[in-house]
Amino acid sequence: MDPSEVEFIAEKELVSIVPNFTNSEVHLISGDVGPFRAGLPVNVPIWMALNLRQRQKCRIIAPDWLDVEKLEALKEEEKSNRFFTKMPSEHYMVVAQLLLSAVDDDIPRVEEIRMAVKDLWDVRISKLRSSVDTFIKTGGSHARLDYLTTMEINSVRPLLPHALDFIDRLQKASEGASRRDMASQD
Amino acid sequence: MPLTLTQRCCHLLAPLIPFTVVFIHLSDDDGVRQVFEEMRGLYDQNVAAANDSTADPDGTAISSIAIRHAALERNKRCLMAYVFNRSKKLRNMRWQFGSILPPEIKANLCEPEIQWFNSYSKCLARYMKSIGGQGLNLAQDVKPPKSLYVEVRSLIDYGKFELDNGEVVLLKKHSTHLMSRAQCEPLIIQGVLEQINH
Amino acid sequence: MEDTFGEDDYFGEDEHIPAHEVLQTLEDAWLNEKFCPDLLPSQDSYVEAMMEQIQQMEDNLTKLKKTDFRVEVHHMELARIRYIITSYLRTRIEKIEQNTAFILEQETTRSPENPHLSEGELNYAREFLALQENHQKQLVLKHVPPPFQDFMSTQQSLVPNLRSHIFLRAKKDVNGVVIEGDRDTRDEEVDLEENSQHIMQYKPIANLIHDGSVQLI
Repeated sequence: MDPSEVEFIAEKELVSIVPNFTNSEVHLISGDVGPFRAGLPVNVPIWMALNLRQRQKCRIIAPDWLDVEKLEALKEEEKSNRFFTKMPSEHYMVVAQLLLSAVDDDIPRVEEIRMAVKDLWDVRISKLRSSVDTFIKTGGSHARLDYLTTMEINSVRPLLPHALDFIDRLQKASEGASRRDMASQD
Repeated sequence: MPLTLTQRCCHLLAPLIPFTVVFIHLSDDDGVRQVFEEMRGLYDQNVAAANDSTADPDGTAISSIAIRHAALERNKRCLMAYVFNRSKKLRNMRWQFGSILPPEIKANLCEPEIQWFNSYSKCLARYMKSIGGQGLNLAQDVKPPKSLYVEVRSLIDYGKFELDNGEVVLLKKHSTHLMSRAQCEPLIIQGVLEQINH
Repeated sequence: MEDTFGEDDYFGEDEHIPAHEVLQTLEDAWLNEKFCPDLLPSQDSYVEAMMEQIQQMEDNLTKLKKTDFRVEVHHMELARIRYIITSYLRTRIEKIEQNTAFILEQETTRSPENPHLSEGELNYAREFLALQENHQKQLVLKHVPPPFQDFMSTQQSLVPNLRSHIFLRAKKDVNGVVIEGDRDTRDEEVDLEENSQHIMQYKPIANLIHDGSVQLI
């Protein structure tokens, strides 16, 4: 999947904004949004928040988890957990990238948050790489991947599924060969 | 040492691997012609061998026939794969460039391929027109939509300009404005506006 | 002005399916199709319903003042929906073009209530196969020895790899998925817990996509 498509999916997630205008509910096909009261927070999909922010019609409020201390705590938990930890958002990496680059002053300590997200990502990806390595070496064909996010899964595509497909083809071919060998031994 | 048939066939497929836009003209392709010739040769050998009524005590004649047959099948598949992959490249061009081929490309196509392209184009158009009752151009919207606004500065006294949202702005020399990228791009290219980078 | 459009739209004569559910179905179908090696059943009735919604919405938007802030927001959403639909249909066309003979043959084995191809796709597939056959005849087949001039035998061998590996999320508890063993291992039975994510071969879970038990990711 193209990264732009991962982003596209992530943009559906809701984020809180504070509009500087007032308007009644908007009836989108995907659901109702609003009403909008100047100065009062309201939840909208990220794609809409980014558009309104660009048009200088709102301020974006960082989600709870997009905070240096919380992210560092998550990173520590990830390090000490053998398996993958559940992330506060299915698209934490993409959401962080989108929101942090969209806002100038809305969110304080932007650079520190960016680093904290990257650190968390690095820990998880490194864990993923070694899991994949072990998995292929033990010849598995099936694995459980709870709490891996879309972007992380996408990072091992197409390599992981293709490697497994290839191994499967080799196994099938060798099975066929050994059957033929057995048949010719009559 | 002369190349075996199958080696020659693999050589046909090799240029397809780096997917370049340039085609070798199919009917000038020595490789293809030689494959046809040699297939004829192999086949003739097989017919002769099959008609030979002399005894074949150790079965070598039968084995040779089988091997030639397998080689003939394989080479047929290679040739078909080669043609299939060429048509795939043509197909991609229809999606990228529309129904008119750039002349540089056309120059490297043989007549059947040009006809294939035109027929494919029509076939695709028919399908797209049938979608959802009203038709849908599938060659558009190839990337997910992105909202992009940029801050721009007017370089000249351009005058009134209507934005997509109906708002009318006055572009005076040095005035700054917020516009969607799609809207200001042509004006930037024309030198009317410049993007402000922070 | 009261925002009267965007009300729940109906779909089909007897069923009232809200527009946002139609959209969700299309989004799920888009992802499933993207990651599935095989061609899945066509969701063309949902595509058609959504395209009608889009058309209606676009007509309604022309009645609003251009400076209404909602106009741009609606247009953005419509662009997003159009992307999902076009990407979905493009993915299907690519599969149809890659395995045409196989897909057409499979379609003949299906009951008329369960087509995998829409009418437009079926016509397209037939025309495309005829194009390919003619093309191969012109350039290859008429130049090779007579016994080797058959087109279909080679075409029918272009099949999707149903054993390829996919990622999935279980949308509900599914018990007893059988993963075939090979020469060295026995068959394995796996339970898929709701919301769990897995990587495995497509074949054992193929029927679970159709009934909505799993989503490819």
